[in-house]
Amino acid sequence: MSTALHDYRRKQIRPVWCAGCGNYGVLRGVEKALKRLEVPPEQTVVISGIGCSGRFSHYLNTYALHGTHGRALPIATGVKTSRPDLTVLVVGGDGDSLGIGGGHLPHAARKNVDLTFLILDNNTYGLTKGQSSPTTPWGCVTKTSPYGSPEDSLEVLPILLAYDVSFVARTSSLQIEEMARIITEAMRHPGFAVVHILSPCVTYPVLAWKALRERLAPLPDNHSLVDKATALQLAYTSEPIYTGVFYSILKPTLDARLRQLHESALKRYSSRGKEPTIPSLMERFL
Amino acid sequence: MTTGKKAFYSEVDFILRIAGEGGEGVISCGELFAQAAARTEYHVFTFLTYPAEMRGGFAMVQVRVRDWTIYSLGSRLDCLVVFNQPALDRTVRELKTTGTLVYDPEAVQLPAELEASALPLPLSRLSKEVTGGTLGKNIVALGALGYLVEMEQEVLEGLVRDRFGAKGGEVVERNLAALRAGYAYAAENSWPRILLMADLKPKGPQYMLLSGNEAIALGAIVAGCRFAASYPITPATTIFETLTRLFPLVEGRALQMEDEIAAVSAAIGASFAGEKAMVSTSGPGLQLMTEQLNLASMIEVPLVVADVQRGGPSTGLPTKTEQSDLNLAIYGVSGESPRIVLAPTSVDDSFYQTIRAFNLAERYQLPVIMLTDQSIGLRKATVRMPDLSHIIQLDSHVARTKVKIPRPEFINLIDRAEPTAKDLEDYRRFRTTADGVSPIARPGTPGGQYLATGLEHTESGHPDYTPENHLQMSRKRFRKMEVIARSFDTNPIEIWGRPDAQIGILGWGSTAGAIREARYLAEERGIHVRHMHPHTLSPMPHRQISNFLVRLEHLIIVEENYTGQFAHHIKAHFGAKAIELHKCEGIPITPEEILKGIEKVAGIIDEYSIARL
Repeated sequence: MSTALHDYRRKQIRPVWCAGCGNYGVLRGVEKALKRLEVPPEQTVVISGIGCSGRFSHYLNTYALHGTHGRALPIATGVKTSRPDLTVLVVGGDGDSLGIGGGHLPHAARKNVDLTFLILDNNTYGLTKGQSSPTTPWGCVTKTSPYGSPEDSLEVLPILLAYDVSFVARTSSLQIEEMARIITEAMRHPGFAVVHILSPCVTYPVLAWKALRERLAPLPDNHSLVDKATALQLAYTSEPIYTGVFYSILKPTLDARLRQLHESALKRYSSRGKEPTIPSLMERFL
Repeated sequence: MTTGKKAFYSEVDFILRIAGEGGEGVISCGELFAQAAARTEYHVFTFLTYPAEMRGGFAMVQVRVRDWTIYSLGSRLDCLVVFNQPALDRTVRELKTTGTLVYDPEAVQLPAELEASALPLPLSRLSKEVTGGTLGKNIVALGALGYLVEMEQEVLEGLVRDRFGAKGGEVVERNLAALRAGYAYAAENSWPRILLMADLKPKGPQYMLLSGNEAIALGAIVAGCRFAASYPITPATTIFETLTRLFPLVEGRALQMEDEIAAVSAAIGASFAGEKAMVSTSGPGLQLMTEQLNLASMIEVPLVVADVQRGGPSTGLPTKTEQSDLNLAIYGVSGESPRIVLAPTSVDDSFYQTIRAFNLAERYQLPVIMLTDQSIGLRKATVRMPDLSHIIQLDSHVARTKVKIPRPEFINLIDRAEPTAKDLEDYRRFRTTADGVSPIARPGTPGGQYLATGLEHTESGHPDYTPENHLQMSRKRFRKMEVIARSFDTNPIEIWGRPDAQIGILGWGSTAGAIREARYLAEERGIHVRHMHPHTLSPMPHRQISNFLVRLEHLIIVEENYTGQFAHHIKAHFGAKAIELHKCEGIPITPEEILKGIEKVAGIIDEYSIARL
């Protein structure tokens, strides 16, 4: 039984995003991806943190957890580890994913937990009304950097590649079709997939629509998905800003790793002629 | 000897301490001895302290063996084994004058005024002779101890084989050689026998020898917990270590996360996904976890947090005991978030309170924090193996009955209430109900999709900041606490001592045993004391504590911290005046110390004085 596109929207809650916000495009892209993959809404869990991106989980008619600032990834890790049957989508902003929650990224990558993580990057803290964020460019004037930001901005894609995230892609909310395709691929990818989405804020336009539109270009046709060195080079390139899938490799997911370890533990245990029952576990302590 | 007092007066009550330097195998020597004793008809209770570092520093283990239930680690030593001079200097004054000292004559100079009998045992020399190195010192000591208490050599050899079997035949043989050398040395030098442990028939019901931390891990598995996340922290780590070892055998999953915030987040995620989940930590970790605990209160997911308290503040005394996280556990969050705080009193109790913690968490959909401490968490004691054929799994909709405290012969397990088909027709996850508890849809259930947000929300889970809604939902969340507090009325808590006693003692957590023995000691001196030890510290069992307090002339509150956190709590709730007895030294309070307090208070009564101590 297939689900209609509009059935993925939780209609009772109206988005709080400003008119023209890039996040509407991402929401549309995610709905299309879910529809294409025919994942039933009840089998999907969307987890988000705090900020404009945090509201993402409100608007999809799935199981949804809108938690605390920066903790979407570890929460999702718990969901997916205990329930591998669920499709888990994680959404964070640049502050959520790279500032307060930045410490969780490498560990989700190390575990290669089968999640799709969308980083909605608008280079600013929009919900709190325009403060500088980890991706605000150096020298940029914001509410908390009235004379220009004194810090460098983070290079998101090279970081993901260095952590060996098993699927790394970039797109923007200007390209809904490409974005839907990339999100679909990311969700299909078995393992930790991160999509960096440039999604400008219309109210605090640190990242401006117009300038962004002119700088975007698709990745070269001949780019190999397993060539990390080239992927890094292309990720560091700022003119143009490439979009597309930079890197995609297959390595065992956390679920597969745990399954394998547990099976070998069980085998060892039963080779000693023991049943894996709770009373026999207790007898180990007699 | 009356039957009522039998639990205190016993024929055999033997206290052994082994002391040396970290890395000398002191602790494993004591643990093997305890394990051997646990296989006899005696009860066993251990306490250990070790330095925070891997090598060096003072390390000791104390083992108490008794023919009746043991409530504390006891006071003076019957036998002391020292590996080096600093260990002797630190501990010899705690040896009874009638006791026995075992020492390495090549490492230790005996004090001139020693009254106890002293038995030289050249640990290093014997170890070198039979194993080629000094690493076997502790097993030499174990062998000699075995002779001293007339334990059969075969029993000890069996234990050594179990312990070192995984390390290969050569290691086993080396250790067996060390064991035999110690045993033979004691025999050749005609050591006395100070206790008879041979030929004792095994006990009726089966007893496990568990540390408090292992008891929590096993309790969690029995309760149905199949997800744990943690970050290593002394002295709580062995809970998680035990779970990682056992979970694969029961299809559970344990994740070591990058920090405590991530650990509690993962557990919240797993619980949201429908699993019974727990985290284990110590004070500094609980402090980090508070960030997420109020999320669990707000989105109403069941969660069990075990806090094995250690000395604070900050890094504090990582390997020492203290009861100083009570304020953090009850109040430590932003906003007002209902949660339950439990305090197990012993190793045995850790097992059953863990099951209870899961039942309460699932029944009421909120975080349950269990406060144990280093002294319970790391000591080993005999725990009666429960009869698992008597476990009753309660259907989620029947679970509205009272949550009974589990016992060896009666364990109820409760799962969270799930929505019925009728509930799902118009599913409101946070529906206001009579007891504040509303059914949770498990992800995957069609029609059960809901938003769990940390924002204030409506019954349907949608954000809503209106004044009426905030009040209504705050009431819903706190109604659960009222219902829990009321449920204690049918769940009697234990009060010991004569009902007409004028002096009452209130304690919590690991001090239960020491207070109990202090009460017996006071009775010997003709002072009657009533003792109450609530397991649930928040919400308070109001009616029972009031009933306890109202009959007393003087109240003593005993706890192991500096400021008297529990006393503050009692004073705030009941307006009671209390004499506070605090110990803030990183080691457990002893029955003698409590007795001193009782005697002072009794003296005050004699003088009709009401001054504070």
